[in-house]
Amino acid sequence: MSYWGFRKVMSVSAKALPKVLDDSIDKAADRLAADQISAVIERLLYNEGGARLKTYMETCAHCGLCSDACHHYLSNNKDPKFSPAGKVRQTIDLIIRKKGNVSIEFIKRACEIAFTECNLCRRCVLYCPFGIDVAYLMIFVRRICHQLGVVPKFIQDTAHSHSATFNQMWVKEDEWIDTLFWQEEEAREEIPGLRIPVDQECAEIFYSVIGPEPKFRAQLIYQAAVIMNVAGMSWTMTAKPGWDSSNMCMYTGDHEMTARLKKVHFEAALRLKTKRIVMGECGHAFRSVTDVGNRYLGWKAPPLPVVHAIEFYHELISNKRINIVQKFDKPVTFHDPCNIVRGGGLHELARGIIDKTCEHFVEMHPNREHNYCCNAGGGIINCGPPYTSKRVRSNRVKADQLRDAKSWGARTIIAPCHNCHGGLEDIIKFYQLDMDIKFFSDIIYGCMDKNHPLTTEAIKKY
Amino acid sequence: MATVEFEGNSFTVDEDGFIDNFTSWNNSWVKYVKTQEGIDELTKEHWDVINVLQDYYKKNGIAPMVRILSKLTGFKLKHIYELFPSGPGKGACKMAGLPKPTGCV
Repeated sequence: MSYWGFRKVMSVSAKALPKVLDDSIDKAADRLAADQISAVIERLLYNEGGARLKTYMETCAHCGLCSDACHHYLSNNKDPKFSPAGKVRQTIDLIIRKKGNVSIEFIKRACEIAFTECNLCRRCVLYCPFGIDVAYLMIFVRRICHQLGVVPKFIQDTAHSHSATFNQMWVKEDEWIDTLFWQEEEAREEIPGLRIPVDQECAEIFYSVIGPEPKFRAQLIYQAAVIMNVAGMSWTMTAKPGWDSSNMCMYTGDHEMTARLKKVHFEAALRLKTKRIVMGECGHAFRSVTDVGNRYLGWKAPPLPVVHAIEFYHELISNKRINIVQKFDKPVTFHDPCNIVRGGGLHELARGIIDKTCEHFVEMHPNREHNYCCNAGGGIINCGPPYTSKRVRSNRVKADQLRDAKSWGARTIIAPCHNCHGGLEDIIKFYQLDMDIKFFSDIIYGCMDKNHPLTTEAIKKY
Repeated sequence: MATVEFEGNSFTVDEDGFIDNFTSWNNSWVKYVKTQEGIDELTKEHWDVINVLQDYYKKNGIAPMVRILSKLTGFKLKHIYELFPSGPGKGACKMAGLPKPTGCV
């Protein structure tokens, strides 16, 4: 389709969704001066866009193959405004064509598109004949919004927390340590002698979690501690900042803070002279640590190996460091989180764990790297309640996909990512799907043999 | 923002069902959220959690960590989740009239 033809289609598209108000966007944008907008954009295009941005923008042929890959497009009656190329056209494409001379109203709309209508899930990248990275383009728009100070309120609060505390939920240092001691005490009632080693130098594993675990979901720390102890692992967590591997600044376009957060995380692991980082079940954190943080820091690769919980649990089960005594008996399906499957290739390992721990497994379709995003990812759920209704309505295809899996027998969804849990919970509630969601650690904790922790002698054999 | 009418009271709520303003909270809101959260009966223990959340929020402007909640109520983590099946961040904060916590929740 020609450039003009494309624009014509766009101009007749219906307004599918109600306008949402985020006073943070409105108030911040209204303060901007016109020359401020163009100055910021010009600087970013010149200093940071470069060849990559130019190549992507000049290569796109508007063929439309990306459209059917996008859950926003499919869920909004195929409104071209929601197609990946459409979103690029409404934002960075016009910004470049107009050389940054865009209005305040344009910035507000571009902010809303980049932050709440694209999950940076990169499903469209698979279907683009040229492999154009639409997520990169949307992050570029977010970067512009960040430099203009126009960012949705809830996610900016999370980014502020990152800046002030190096974790995403305003957890203070003493509260973090207290939470570890507390969960250690509770877990010792179940596993006598259990420890959560804090600041133990030269441990093999540096275990890092994300903010919501100490803040509200402390049972995940409990379960991880039980698994580590029963498997007889040499592990530790840090008492100082760096325990939170999440990174919402990566999604607000704050590259500088993204890099600082990763540096603190890596340095915490290096300070304790650990051999590798094992991360809890989170998707975006995994991407930020394995792929993004090191590049923003100017490092070729992370300074020590980084292992996601899926790889780690698979390793423990295959090596028989933990034994499964009773498989999970409800039929399960698996939601492939974008950042660790499409971005990290862990889909087969995940299925390996399911094979060893669950009686019945039903694949949802599409699956693996073709799975639809939960629509919480890319920071959309972090943009908070002003966008919840839109977020849920814009993922009708996910509801259909889950309903199909349910009709084939699935009752429980395994999703090894915090954001996916939040997004899927909302979808299940809104579309009345009546399914429950679990982490791998929930399943493994429930099925493993906890009565026979590995002895030191047994560990030596491995 | 949507409006919820319950027992003659009117509450403005955000899209996640949290009331927009802490000062418009009252007992009737608690009864309304109880119906939404699948809680069978409101006990003194639910009220202990609500009171702690509100006291902490008034002093600090943020929801406490579940550890603080446990310390101040004397309930174990598991029990807090038994009282509020959707968890302290979603169910309990909503019932106590606090805003939705920010972050990956």
